[in-house]
Amino acid sequence: MATHFGTMIDRKLVAVSDKNRSGRTAREASYAICSLFVIAVCGYTFTDPFVVTLAGYTCAFALFALSINIILGGVGEVPLGQCLFFGLGAYGAAIGMGKLGLPFDVSVLIALVLSVVLAAIIGVITLRLTGAYFSIVSWGLTGVAMVAATNLDEITGGPLGLFGFPPIEIGPLQLSDPPTYFAVTATILLVAILFLVALRRSPFGAAMDSVRQNPHLARSVGVDVARVRLKAFMLSAPFAALAGALAVPYTQIVTPEVFSVANTVDGLLMVLLGGAQLVIGPVIGAAVFTLIPQAMNLDPNIRILLFSSVIILIMMFAPGGLHQVGVALRDRFGGKTDDDRSR
Amino acid sequence: MELLAQTLVNGLVLGAGYAVIAVGLTLIFGIVGIANFAHGAFFAMGGYACYLLASQGLNYLAAVPLAVLIVVIIGAITEWMVIRRSLYGNSHHGSLIVTFALGQAAVAGLILIFGPDPLAVPSPLGQSTMRFFGIFVTSQRVFIFVCSVLVLGALGLWLRLSIRGQQVVAVAQNARGALYCGIDVPWIRTLAFVLGVAAAGLAGALLAPISTIYPTMGYSALIVGFTVVILGGMGSIPGAMLGALLIGVANALFETYVSVSWTPALGWALVIATLLFRPQGLLGQLQQHRH
Repeated sequence: MATHFGTMIDRKLVAVSDKNRSGRTAREASYAICSLFVIAVCGYTFTDPFVVTLAGYTCAFALFALSINIILGGVGEVPLGQCLFFGLGAYGAAIGMGKLGLPFDVSVLIALVLSVVLAAIIGVITLRLTGAYFSIVSWGLTGVAMVAATNLDEITGGPLGLFGFPPIEIGPLQLSDPPTYFAVTATILLVAILFLVALRRSPFGAAMDSVRQNPHLARSVGVDVARVRLKAFMLSAPFAALAGALAVPYTQIVTPEVFSVANTVDGLLMVLLGGAQLVIGPVIGAAVFTLIPQAMNLDPNIRILLFSSVIILIMMFAPGGLHQVGVALRDRFGGKTDDDRSR
Repeated sequence: MELLAQTLVNGLVLGAGYAVIAVGLTLIFGIVGIANFAHGAFFAMGGYACYLLASQGLNYLAAVPLAVLIVVIIGAITEWMVIRRSLYGNSHHGSLIVTFALGQAAVAGLILIFGPDPLAVPSPLGQSTMRFFGIFVTSQRVFIFVCSVLVLGALGLWLRLSIRGQQVVAVAQNARGALYCGIDVPWIRTLAFVLGVAAAGLAGALLAPISTIYPTMGYSALIVGFTVVILGGMGSIPGAMLGALLIGVANALFETYVSVSWTPALGWALVIATLLFRPQGLLGQLQQHRH
């Protein structure tokens, strides 16, 4: 009944002293600045437009994986329907630009608001369910969305989808320019990570932890379980929608296939590869998931076969993902046991 | 009136096919305690095994049982290698992800072996039609209906009358109590898993000739299976049969009288209504701790 995605979470309950905390803040600030620097350097050094665009798309998809991890690593449900919001973001951007003639940023903002509203409505119904029931019903809702997107020709362009957008730009930034696209998605990803790190440390993050580890105990100490779950769900939706919208400059077309479960599966594999308990786990997973197949020039089906097998092995032997493997190795070979980085 | 009768018959035949898929799913859920997201992959494997045997020149009627046998062997190996080691006594989340990944891997494997394009499975019953009281049914559909009813009836009798079947029922009711009574629970679980995927494989082999086979055919079967099982009550075998017939008939009526393209959404509307107003399903037992 309790969910064990990472047993090492328990060790993190050790209180962190104030001195430690200020040191941690400084360390994290330096991480953030280093990443900004790396983003800038990468944006200028790599000139191959294909590689740079792919990197930007990877960042967008990592954002989607983060959204999945708010549910999976946060409240401990498997959100098989998260691509509903991904698709909503993609369609929101596409319909806003293509049909209504709005600028990209305005349509994305509208899509984000819509995604939160939709998450509130869906969450009230589906979050009463837990475990397999929640996963199945949310998956089913994406099926309904796909049927709707296929049939509502006037709005969504039907099975062929929407394509042929005007140049996509946010203010002065041209997203059709590969280095700019990469810089924008990477920066948004970084901001999202910082936000999620802060969220995990907040009282709300602690409430999510308690709900995941033992909902009955959480309820008995005064955590409003249903409310926490609904808030987490509503929080995850705009991340997925933003990811969907940011994927549009790469894909250049939005078809009903964005609601396909394959999208969710990709995101889920990324989260599980990297480890659900680490905030940047999904990002590590996204990098591994895109880079290795790209470097080895793998067929997409071999990629799915390979990563699915890896996931089965990980779930059998190391449910905390690559992060847990790393921690185990570090503990074994006498590194420091400061396990607080993810929090 | 003719149209209504024809639609009802079509729905019943469709529902019989769904029932075989859903009974396997609900059996695995009731006994092994996992929602088997790899069920659709075993369904597709049944279809492909049938195709493989038929393309070797074997008669379709002989290919069906052999295809089920192949699926049984694959299912037993899967159970022994993966399911048994990772799932028992675990939460639903671990099992959910593992079975889902299994399904993904199997579908990717099928694409790599057979290619992504739909393939046709020839059946000697495919072309002819039968006529009952003015209603036309293709022979293949009659065959599907008869097979489904026979298999489901045999399963029901087996569960009710045989000692092994009673043990299965006992494990479904209370696994720990069954263990204390000396029932070999792990063996019963293996048996239930293999029986469940065999049902999926049988459904795949039966339905292959009326719809072409393609690697992702399992997804729609899995979704239909889940809608049926949730509607009937998870873990309840009579519930699965009732749910299958209801969804089959409802789909057929909706297709005929409302809209073909919106039909896939109908099952989910029914499921959400069920979960809102009768969360245990039509014939399910109300549980204290639903996971």
